[in-house]
Amino acid sequence: MSVFVELFQDNVEAEDIRLFSAFTLTATFWLLLSTFVALILSFKFPYPDWATSPFLSFGRLRAIHTNDAFYGWASVALSGAALYVASRSSGIPVAAKRWAWSGLILFNLAAVCGTVTLDLGINNGDQEYREWVWWVTIIFALALVTTFISLLATVVRRVEREIYISNWYTLGAFIFTILLGITAYIPAYQHGLGQVALQGFYMHNAVGMWFTFLALGVTYYALPKLLNRPIYSYALGVLGFWTNLLFYPVIGAHHYEFSPLPWWFQTLAIVFSVGMLVPVWAGSGNFFLTMRGHWETVRRSYALPFMVVGVAYYFLGSTQGTVESFRSLQGIWHLTNFTVGHSHATMYGFITFISWGAIYALLPRATGKHPSALATGLHFWFALVGVTVYILLLSIAGTEQGLTWAAGNPFIASVEAAAPFWLARAVAGTLMFVSHLIFAYNVYMMTLGPSRETMRYERPPESVPA
Amino acid sequence: MNNVWALVAASAVIYGIYCILMGVAPGAALSRVPPLPGVHPLAARESHGRDIYVAEGCSYCHTQQVRPLAQDQVFGRPSVAGDYVYDTPQLLGTERTGPDLTSIGSRQPSEIWQYIHLWDPRAVVHESIMPRYTWLFQVKDKAGPGDVIVPLPPGYGPEKGVVVATADAKDLVAYLESLKQVPLTGGQAK
Repeated sequence: MSVFVELFQDNVEAEDIRLFSAFTLTATFWLLLSTFVALILSFKFPYPDWATSPFLSFGRLRAIHTNDAFYGWASVALSGAALYVASRSSGIPVAAKRWAWSGLILFNLAAVCGTVTLDLGINNGDQEYREWVWWVTIIFALALVTTFISLLATVVRRVEREIYISNWYTLGAFIFTILLGITAYIPAYQHGLGQVALQGFYMHNAVGMWFTFLALGVTYYALPKLLNRPIYSYALGVLGFWTNLLFYPVIGAHHYEFSPLPWWFQTLAIVFSVGMLVPVWAGSGNFFLTMRGHWETVRRSYALPFMVVGVAYYFLGSTQGTVESFRSLQGIWHLTNFTVGHSHATMYGFITFISWGAIYALLPRATGKHPSALATGLHFWFALVGVTVYILLLSIAGTEQGLTWAAGNPFIASVEAAAPFWLARAVAGTLMFVSHLIFAYNVYMMTLGPSRETMRYERPPESVPA
Repeated sequence: MNNVWALVAASAVIYGIYCILMGVAPGAALSRVPPLPGVHPLAARESHGRDIYVAEGCSYCHTQQVRPLAQDQVFGRPSVAGDYVYDTPQLLGTERTGPDLTSIGSRQPSEIWQYIHLWDPRAVVHESIMPRYTWLFQVKDKAGPGDVIVPLPPGYGPEKGVVVATADAKDLVAYLESLKQVPLTGGQAK
């Protein structure tokens, strides 16, 4: 194996290594749990009589899958990476570390409480991504506030004059999401259809103002670092930041097209969905132009392929989101499995692949421990093939459902039409889950596992470079 | 930019305005929509049944919104804001893996059908992939006085004894039976 660009180790404080490792390790636990639950769910489609129990029923596990994937896995993984990026790009160790540790504990406490309450049937209504009851969300909000304090303190005390563009995105993500959480959980203006308006606003902003901003921020640091060259255009990054903030908060109502929400309100959401092409193409174009001409580096790296897939799915999934928001297409695709395919293109193809890319790019630089090249390759291909097949299957299944309804057939015909695709989806999902097990092994190797030096020379652990 | 406080303040102010314009304001305006004539709050038992519907996550597969599209006519007339005045938490849903339930009380008025379907959906719809909700029922050797016995086709019941609906099942079915649309025109408030 030739020398990886990633083999260079940063000079990182021991406690910062522990902090980054702890965020990544606990996030990995939630990835495994949430996708194990997903596996159970996917097998319930072809085998609905399997695991008949209130605690294993579809209606309860579905929310556990989505919330743990969102708030356990992706939030914790990207927050850990964001803290590391803030520290490296500011030229100082992570500041106010106690706040970051508190954030980590609160993130995990919220995910534990959220998982248990949802499994007991205690929820905030069947409202996607805000199913956690108010007190669990308060724990999560406190996790955001405490982690934000550490992130902000690190940027404030930076020795670099400029605030690197990554920190714009990650600081913004925390500010937006704290405000969003408060707005979404105050009940005073949420009766009847009023709550539906809030739900559209909340569910899409939770994705777009939190995960998108975190993932883009981390990419703006990890990608140039891996390629050992500056980002193609700093100005495009700034344009992406402001246009994301300008367009994203308005598009939520496109999840309720043809609903009783005011027609103009839905139209406004569709118009701004078209506006989203500006930040999406600015961001993904910027990343691709940074990679242009350096495909040999991508080929030799184990982190860069994940970033390439993440950026590609950012472009594809978000552009798909704009196109499918048009009424002519929503008429067929709305309420079908097509939406589930889209959400996996974005939350998995984009957010999760970027999280993996960032972890493979940055964690070994911090700990000095590297994942196995073979295991990383297996992780990459299992996850990529798994999710791509998954998306294609559900896109076809959703189209079949929508066309069956439009043809005026009895409802059960849409279930029968989608059934073979659901069975195949469970197989694709299995492939994805296996890739997560391999990833977990790699995370172990990058954190708690034996150092390469120790293995090679059998030196005592204290001689391992920090 | 190198002023972190300006960045933080600008982000917070712009997004704060959006939270009010796109969240709080439409929420407040739509929360004040008057009910359609004939739309009433649920009775206590129906309301408890609705809580079970929410706890079990029924709306991950069943919508409660009829769209102004030809393919939705089978579920009733297009839904309007006045239908939802007492519907909190909202149950419009975003996926229709199973049929819409806006007017299930009119479309399937048989309580017994609902009980059989909740015990084992495949006992009435062979191709259904809906989960069984067996924990809403009790298997007894003999039904007691006042028990609602669920009549099951051969092969779908327990080997011994009878299946009896619990209070939760009765309330859930009462809620499902209450799901009816009031007419938009020509309807009289009662």
